[in-house]
Amino acid sequence: MKIRKSLVSKLTIYTFLFFGISSASFAQFSGNNLVESQFGQLPNDTSNITTLYARTVANYKHKDFKVSGTIEQFYSPREGSTYLSVSQFSLQYKKKPLDIKLGNFYETIGRGSLVRSFEIPGAVLEDLSFRSRHYFNRNILGLSAKYRHKNLTTKLVIGKPLNFVFPPTQGFKIRRVDNIAALYTEYNVKKQTIGVAGMRHSNSGNNGYYLMTTVSGSVSPSISYYTEVAKNIGDFSIGDFSRNAPYVIYAGLNFSAGSFGMSIEYKKYNNFIIGSGINEPPALVKEHTYRVLNRSTHVLQPSNESGYQIELFYTFPNFSSLTFNNTLAVNNFGERTTFSESYVEYDFTANEIHDIKVFMDYANDPFKSQKNRISSGAYADWKISKSSGLTTDYEFQRFERLAKTFQNHVMVLGYSFKSKVVGSIVAETSNDSFIIETPSKVWLGINLKYQLAKSHNLQIFAGERRGGPACNAGVCYEVLNFKGLELRMTNRF
Amino acid sequence: MKSILSATILLLSLNTFAQNVGDFELKDIDNNFQTYDDLKGDKLTLIDFWATWCKPCMKAIPELNKIYTSYKDKGVEVIGISCDGPRSVSKVSPLSKSLGIEYPILLDIDSEIKTDLNLSAFPTLIFVDTEGEIVWIHEGYLNGDEEEIVAELEKRLNEN
Repeated sequence: MKIRKSLVSKLTIYTFLFFGISSASFAQFSGNNLVESQFGQLPNDTSNITTLYARTVANYKHKDFKVSGTIEQFYSPREGSTYLSVSQFSLQYKKKPLDIKLGNFYETIGRGSLVRSFEIPGAVLEDLSFRSRHYFNRNILGLSAKYRHKNLTTKLVIGKPLNFVFPPTQGFKIRRVDNIAALYTEYNVKKQTIGVAGMRHSNSGNNGYYLMTTVSGSVSPSISYYTEVAKNIGDFSIGDFSRNAPYVIYAGLNFSAGSFGMSIEYKKYNNFIIGSGINEPPALVKEHTYRVLNRSTHVLQPSNESGYQIELFYTFPNFSSLTFNNTLAVNNFGERTTFSESYVEYDFTANEIHDIKVFMDYANDPFKSQKNRISSGAYADWKISKSSGLTTDYEFQRFERLAKTFQNHVMVLGYSFKSKVVGSIVAETSNDSFIIETPSKVWLGINLKYQLAKSHNLQIFAGERRGGPACNAGVCYEVLNFKGLELRMTNRF
Repeated sequence: MKSILSATILLLSLNTFAQNVGDFELKDIDNNFQTYDDLKGDKLTLIDFWATWCKPCMKAIPELNKIYTSYKDKGVEVIGISCDGPRSVSKVSPLSKSLGIEYPILLDIDSEIKTDLNLSAFPTLIFVDTEGEIVWIHEGYLNGDEEEIVAELEKRLNEN
């Protein structure tokens, strides 16, 4: 393993140096860098500790070739959590009609029923078990080749997806247990697309063969649709949709008329977790940006879930807009449970300059043992001059659990000068006995973001930050409570 | 370890060159393949990387729509690239049409173009010149940014 790591590190350095020095005048060198330092306490800490996480991404493009590398490092006084690692490296050749990637890459087939890879910008994960920090992503290590000619697109993916739960301190075999080989082909004709994918998956002792078909397109400028059906065909016959058969059925219909828009989606997923969880069919649950709701997002259970999501949009002539969402997710793990949520948001401009958003949400979430959950709030962005504004946000949540009532509150007071200086004071309170040991708790923190230059940002957090589930770009993860000082600097070069 | 750090420092110290937007190809919200070359402006192209779940992105869209209608006859084109993943991509088409977005909206479900251009924030607005070179990048969107964007646009147009 050490030999492999050392070889990869040297290969990365020499490739960059070779391309960088020999032909700098004809090529493009770009990249970004993130450095984050924390001084404080995470859950279970009894004293303050200082940690440093850094991630450098460097890309080098020369004609049709591109070389990319990512170096991640973490330093902590905790034993076994420190590392320096070339976490990604890739070589790409892109010239129509071919796009070939070797190394680490991101590729999703269809809407993610068979395999979904992703990178959540800016999200650094830390887990209480490993106490090591790493960038939140699920890349695939292997080969990806795409060919597109006229109406035909074919994609080949062979590789080992990353299990993001494990930080780079863990071994290669632990972090990449799954092997996949998938071939996807789609054909477009008159705004309609038919796609077929076949995939072989294996990990220690298990093999699976999967088939997926997609049909999508536009019926008219105002109506479009997407359907995706995936099945395990290795252990079950192609027409077997019985209780134990692993399958995914997803369908979506979009409609728009003038200022009105509508999205309707249906799902029926059964026994469909591939390997360590390399796939992720569409969740069909509203992803909220409001804190109390984002934290309450229902997490999809691909092993048994059916339901729907309807979202309606209406934009008024004065550019104010109304959004309505209704979601239902039914799970049956011996006992049938139903998650339901109805959400409405109105976004408008007051006196033609101040932006106001108000929302109301009602949900029942049996997985979190939350009944009659009501969430509401108002976000106001008060323009005080051409370049600056004040923000005042308030969110409220109330729910019942085991005959008791619990509440969460979020209050934010912020100031911004263009995107140059952004500062806010965030106060949260809760009496939720699932997350605190005292009758109630207050989290108070200050955020400051300063744009040093167009491509250099400095962010500071001081105080206490409430953790919990967080969902970003369609992926949910756990953020730990933090008390202390955090500095983050991002650079693009 | 030392060699890696030295190499990183050396790389960072090299002169860097502006990035180029290649002729990428993505599907639009009406399921047609569109290439950058077909959509780019005669003088300048503005590309907005956004997502339906991103509140500042929603705030920027009406301003970009205004820019598009004001400058489309002056050789400026606006392209919206939605980076919504599988979870929210179904909402892009009805939301775009409800908002009355007049410029083309392309779908990049894997954020391939965004990653290729080394961009990491939402929204990110880039200005691309006639040579395909990225000449300006703006991350995020807050009150007052619209004036900075228009000022930069005017400056770039006057340079041509």
